[in-house]
Amino acid sequence: MITVENLRKAYGDFPAVVGSDFSVESGEVFGIVGPNGAGKTTTLKMLAGLVEPTDGTASVLGFDPEEPEMRRRLGFLPEESPLYEDMTPRSYLRFFADLYDVPREEGTKRTEAVLDRLDLEYRDRRLGDMSKGMKRKVAIARSLVNDPDLLIYDEPASGLDPLTTNVVLEFVRELRDEGKTVVFSAHNLFHVESVCDRVVIMNRGEIIARGTIPEIRAEHGETTYRVYTTVSLSETNHHPATEPEGDQHVAVVDEMADVEAIREAAEAAGGSVADIRTDEPSLEDIFLQLAREAPTTSAAEGGRGQS
Amino acid sequence: MTDDTGLKSRLAAHARAIARIARWEVTRSAGTLDRRTIILGVIAVLVAGGVALGAASGGVAIDKDLYRVGVASDSPYYDAVEESTVLDPRSVSDPNVELIVSETHVSVTDTPTGMAAYEAFRDAVQTYNERQMLRESNQTAAFPVVVNLQYRERGALVPPGSRVDDGGGSGGSTGGDATGADGGSGSSDSDTDGQAGGTSGSSAASGAAAADDGPIAAPDVGGAGGFLGGDTSGSPASISPPFPFASLVLAFAFLVPMNFVIQAYGSSILNERVNRRGELLLVAPVTPGDIVAGKTVPYLAGMVGLTVAIALAIGGGPVSVAAVVPIGLLFLSATFVGAMFARSFKELTFVTVTISVFLTTYTFVPAIFTNVTPIALISPLTLVVRDLSGTAVSLGDFAFSVGPILLAALVLFLLGTGVYREEDMFTQRPVPLKFLDALDSRISRPRSVATLSALSIPFVFIAELLVIAVLYVLPVDLTIPLVLLAVAVVEELAKSLHVYAAFEKARFARTIRVSLLLGALSGFGFFVGEKFTAIVQLVGLPSLTLGQAAFAPSGIGVVAATGLLLAPLVLHAVTATVTALGATRGRSAYALALVAAIGIHVVYNLQVVSSLG
Repeated sequence: MITVENLRKAYGDFPAVVGSDFSVESGEVFGIVGPNGAGKTTTLKMLAGLVEPTDGTASVLGFDPEEPEMRRRLGFLPEESPLYEDMTPRSYLRFFADLYDVPREEGTKRTEAVLDRLDLEYRDRRLGDMSKGMKRKVAIARSLVNDPDLLIYDEPASGLDPLTTNVVLEFVRELRDEGKTVVFSAHNLFHVESVCDRVVIMNRGEIIARGTIPEIRAEHGETTYRVYTTVSLSETNHHPATEPEGDQHVAVVDEMADVEAIREAAEAAGGSVADIRTDEPSLEDIFLQLAREAPTTSAAEGGRGQS
Repeated sequence: MTDDTGLKSRLAAHARAIARIARWEVTRSAGTLDRRTIILGVIAVLVAGGVALGAASGGVAIDKDLYRVGVASDSPYYDAVEESTVLDPRSVSDPNVELIVSETHVSVTDTPTGMAAYEAFRDAVQTYNERQMLRESNQTAAFPVVVNLQYRERGALVPPGSRVDDGGGSGGSTGGDATGADGGSGSSDSDTDGQAGGTSGSSAASGAAAADDGPIAAPDVGGAGGFLGGDTSGSPASISPPFPFASLVLAFAFLVPMNFVIQAYGSSILNERVNRRGELLLVAPVTPGDIVAGKTVPYLAGMVGLTVAIALAIGGGPVSVAAVVPIGLLFLSATFVGAMFARSFKELTFVTVTISVFLTTYTFVPAIFTNVTPIALISPLTLVVRDLSGTAVSLGDFAFSVGPILLAALVLFLLGTGVYREEDMFTQRPVPLKFLDALDSRISRPRSVATLSALSIPFVFIAELLVIAVLYVLPVDLTIPLVLLAVAVVEELAKSLHVYAAFEKARFARTIRVSLLLGALSGFGFFVGEKFTAIVQLVGLPSLTLGQAAFAPSGIGVVAATGLLLAPLVLHAVTATVTALGATRGRSAYALALVAAIGIHVVYNLQVVSSLG
């Protein structure tokens, strides 16, 4: 669906994206995550044909991103919802359907269907008079009006309240279930973790990790074990010592060998292991760890680049 | 065949996209108009219409019935007074008259108003008599030609390229007199002159004819004093050769709506850039060219519609419409570029007002001199004035007047469309840097440098004509060096700015070899483009001393320069290379190189002018 090789973008002396390589398979939700200024938006805009790469190649739906035919099969949602505020949702969607060569009758049908699906009631109200959440829904509806094969969403839930965020994320899942390919960026890693099949983590224009969430967790995260015992081991010489927690005692260790040692120590002290829980690192934890480890020489701070 | 089909289907797709965007622009813009804007628009249309209709129905009679004249209804002078718009015939016994006309003499109140009334009365009688004479079947007997040859020293204040037209020599001279005084030069049109009542028609012809002979007829206000002084009653009708006053006012009516249309157009373009609204159009399956064309077509169509309506209302013909539409296009293209460069609506207001003032001045002021000098043809409005006053417009005049304006408009659209892309539309860079971005956007390979140099020619042409128009009233000793300097500045900037922009945007390696190549290409492109300015010859502008100063040094086909055909090419290549070398080393070095190139160019120009004698 998408193949990117050594994609680079520099704004003057500022390297916004430094040699990205990745591919996106058909029917998956692919996440690009990273902090502000990581190069996510620039990467998405290069895929959408909005920004010309300084170097490297990108093939989207088998086309060069600047090909009109590629754009015809693409639904793009920018980070902001730049709507024409004097239009109504209905007129706005019909105009874009028209622009994408959707026959008039079909365009009207799709407009109503997608507005129904997003539960948007006020279809003839000025967009300028609508709330941010409703505008975002209209923007999402617009990205679907040409029935695209590929959707590129830049921070689709940015700035929305939790309820609307859930609606948007659920909608992305539905799109995947329908067989659409979705590429989306976020700096809220929980959003990515909850919907993405695969992700790349970007920092300062570079991809610093890639794969499915479990793969990344396995490669970059450290699983910890919380071992609950019925007796305190703090007075023994065993390390690590337990801390009281309710009517039990808990020790946090990284290795299974330590878990075994704690079990033996607890039994020796006349107690036992009451419970063992596994703590897996969140994507956010991994990202923070990688960001701390990443070299700072790759891309300068600041500059003209987009996030 | 397949290629043809492919091309046709691509063109059809573009046309469909443009039509959709245009339709959307119309409906969306209509939705954004608030009541206040609509009221302002209606007022603008009413003002334009009122001016046009007022002028069309008997002229703009700001001096109508200005002087009261006591004259008996059976007096032989009654008809002359009655037909004059300035004079108001009253009873001889009326105590409030400035003038009383009896059978044998005229009584005038001893006041400035009385004296002015007397002058107006003389003009009215003379005009009336001439009209009577025109009705005579034997025109030779009615208008015997008398040629007076006077050898006079050239005045220090009058450039050789111009002269004070001493017209008929008598006060309140008319076109017939003026044509006669021009001798044979304008004789071929003398009949027409006469039929036009000695007003603008004759003057246009004599002005053009005078240009053929070298000297230019300067406006001669009043009877004998001409532009530099003389007798005038203050009435437009007493200016000789008369300004085409009514035609000018009517022609101005064409410009009024344009100033309002560009406000709406500029806002629409900038609106796409505010909050990144236009981003979604850019990601749609249309090209930036489709978007720009789609957004422009409704405003252009509106301008054309208004132009046709005004032309129908005031009696203008297809020539007027064909001359005005390119002006409208230039208004739109300049506004488009301004809106692409402006960072806020505040800046846009400044831009549109500047465009309004400059283009209105540029088009209107030269048209005032329609009957005086061919330089007036730098404005297409001059064609409108000629059309309205019944003077024929040759194809050469039309091309000279409209060509640069049309080309300049197209090049501006080309430049603006170059920055109609995500990376340039939504940035807040200063206007000069955006201008450089726009130039750079049209450079993809070295030969683009030559193309851009050639495309700068319409602007160079307009700028140089503007310099001539502004400077031609100065003494020639001062004018020619100034023109030569201005020409050098304009041409060196035109040849080098885009090269500088390309280096600044790291489009090419900053090496001596590359700068030599780009300099040579820029000089060559400019030389080739410059050849198109040969159109100047169609109206004989190079025959003017100032025309020679401006155009001959660059070698546009003047006989004396024929043997040096390649000299201008060498000049342009050398100076463009100098500036390209400077541009590789940054702004300061470019500025220094530009000064050096201008210096070389001025020296070259002086050499050519002196060799021409």
